[in-house]
Amino acid sequence: MLTIIKILFGTVTWSATFRLSTPIILTSVGGSFSKQTGTFCIAFECFMLSAAFFAAWGSYLSGNPYIGALLAIVAGVILAAVFGVFVLHFNANPMIVSIALNFGSWAMTTLLLTKVFKVRGFFHSPKIVNFQSIDIPILRTIPYIHKILNNQIILVYIAYISIFIGAIIMYKTPFGLRLRGIGINQVGAQTSGVNILKYKWIALIIMGVMSGLGGAYMPLSGLSMFSENMTAGRGFLAFAAILVGKGNPLKAAFIGILFAYTNAITLTLTSFGVPTQLLQMMPFVVVILVLIISSLKNFSKNPTINNQ
Amino acid sequence: MKLKISHEVKKTILRYGISIILTLLFGSILIAIQGESPLEAVGHIFEGAFGNRINIGNTIRWIISSLMVGGAAIVAFKSGVSNLGIEGQLYMGALSAAIIGYSIELPHGLHVMACLLAASILGMLYALIPALLRVYFKINELITTLILNFIAKYLTEYITMWIIMGGQQSANGSASITTPQILNTARLSTIIKGTTANTGIFIALGILFFIAFIYKYTLEGYEFTQIGQNMSFARMGGVNINKSFIMVFLMSGLISGMGGGIEVTGSYYRFMPNFSNNLGWDGIMITRVANNNPLAVIIVSIIWGALKQGALHMERMTTLNRLVVIIIQMLFVLFVSIDYDNLFSRWKEKIRLKKTNSKGGSSIC
Repeated sequence: MLTIIKILFGTVTWSATFRLSTPIILTSVGGSFSKQTGTFCIAFECFMLSAAFFAAWGSYLSGNPYIGALLAIVAGVILAAVFGVFVLHFNANPMIVSIALNFGSWAMTTLLLTKVFKVRGFFHSPKIVNFQSIDIPILRTIPYIHKILNNQIILVYIAYISIFIGAIIMYKTPFGLRLRGIGINQVGAQTSGVNILKYKWIALIIMGVMSGLGGAYMPLSGLSMFSENMTAGRGFLAFAAILVGKGNPLKAAFIGILFAYTNAITLTLTSFGVPTQLLQMMPFVVVILVLIISSLKNFSKNPTINNQ
Repeated sequence: MKLKISHEVKKTILRYGISIILTLLFGSILIAIQGESPLEAVGHIFEGAFGNRINIGNTIRWIISSLMVGGAAIVAFKSGVSNLGIEGQLYMGALSAAIIGYSIELPHGLHVMACLLAASILGMLYALIPALLRVYFKINELITTLILNFIAKYLTEYITMWIIMGGQQSANGSASITTPQILNTARLSTIIKGTTANTGIFIALGILFFIAFIYKYTLEGYEFTQIGQNMSFARMGGVNINKSFIMVFLMSGLISGMGGGIEVTGSYYRFMPNFSNNLGWDGIMITRVANNNPLAVIIVSIIWGALKQGALHMERMTTLNRLVVIIIQMLFVLFVSIDYDNLFSRWKEKIRLKKTNSKGGSSIC
């Protein structure tokens, strides 16, 4: 019994939850903005993976993780812009563009890995400098909390702050109102004088910046390495969080934290000899369960399908 | 006599022509900056794909997989079902074919059929989950199929490693996680000696012709297409959408599962995790490049298969990585997805507006 409580509420689990949720939260908060404007995007895997590579590269070259994060943001924004040009200006199907970008970025980063670092599979080097963990004096004194919240790296704090900033922008500012207006009724927003394209582009750029940061977290959070296909489905988890949260940063982040919590619990369970594959599967099973629970109200015995 | 070209045909030629030119341009740049000659690289790809008997055989082996996933995707996407879960259905099909293949003994033809049947059924059942969730809970199938891919991947790896191989002692490193080899009776016979080109090609081609026939000549096919084009209209027209929707999903899952089965019984002769290498996603891209036309899928599959096999040869002969070919393929997919017709008419409009504006301005002055 005690071990169960320890696993569910222990500081180790919660501290891991905070760490693991960071990339998903960053990406899903950014993606919520583009979701609100009605842009359909599943290319988060592409943004995060490319950002992760450039973060590692930038940090390797300069010895400064902040430069790495900056490069990651640039990579994220450029790829989001490519996505934007194809989808918003060339009328391309967003799904197929996303799939092509996801694959293209996987091939590109793997290729760059062999060209730049002359290795296959993964590159590990102490020259890739990580973010330092931050010691916050106020948090140090609080029991229990200090083991969870204190001594995390700066991106973790940025992620959690961004949830609230994102929510405030989305629901308390004129800018957010217009964004949501475009998503609800595009023609209506246009007739009331909103420049739709401009808002869609701003939302895309926000998405690029945030998923760039989310990608930068992975190589610079203490691992000092970049490996082929490092994101391993986190982009899709973020997409699921955005979809369940319906573009609300608070809800999306909550779902992201739930995924991370499942992941953290399963990490502690590894030491009990549970097969790793089942543990790796758990966050994805939770996604399906969350989707079912959040759609229970839609259940009907005589269903009708609508275009979604 | 003047050759009449309809607008549709012109549009298609324009679209593929521009895409190919753009892809060649960007692809050449990509190859040239790595210090290799683009022409030589293309030559090596061609030689690797069609150079001799063995190469052609291996190319056919990849064409089979492309055809199967392309078929699975086209059934779904033509009817507006966004089945991104082909990958997962492949895994389920492949594993079940492998299990039937090594665990029971049957005469040759029967055994292969049993394997493929099991693979199809498993693939179908796995597709039933997102279909039911969409119909009864209104959960977008995009996300469920996407997530079910990962579940299938880990689940099959778990079953292989912990149930079939019996735990950790035999599993050191992901490379060695496999099921036992399937029996000789469970193998599809090869059509070119020394390669794994197998009779699956006839199954795959048969399926695609069957799809083309259904969509062109039958009532069901017409209804399925209607759903894809305009769901509300189809409902008003009296199509039972729920039934058709589930049926399309099951059909797509069946073909994916069988595709996984053919991979195992025709080429790999065993199941191993990560065998598919994102084959399922290839299917979706093939369908989109082929513009949801079953016969065009065959052509695109041939190109896809040739590139896959040719890239290996190119990698051996030059300093280029075969990933370069994947990047070029993705560029092509991106360029084909552009709506050129719309783009050009908008540009024309802009130029026309500019002209009239400048004229108007000058007359006032």
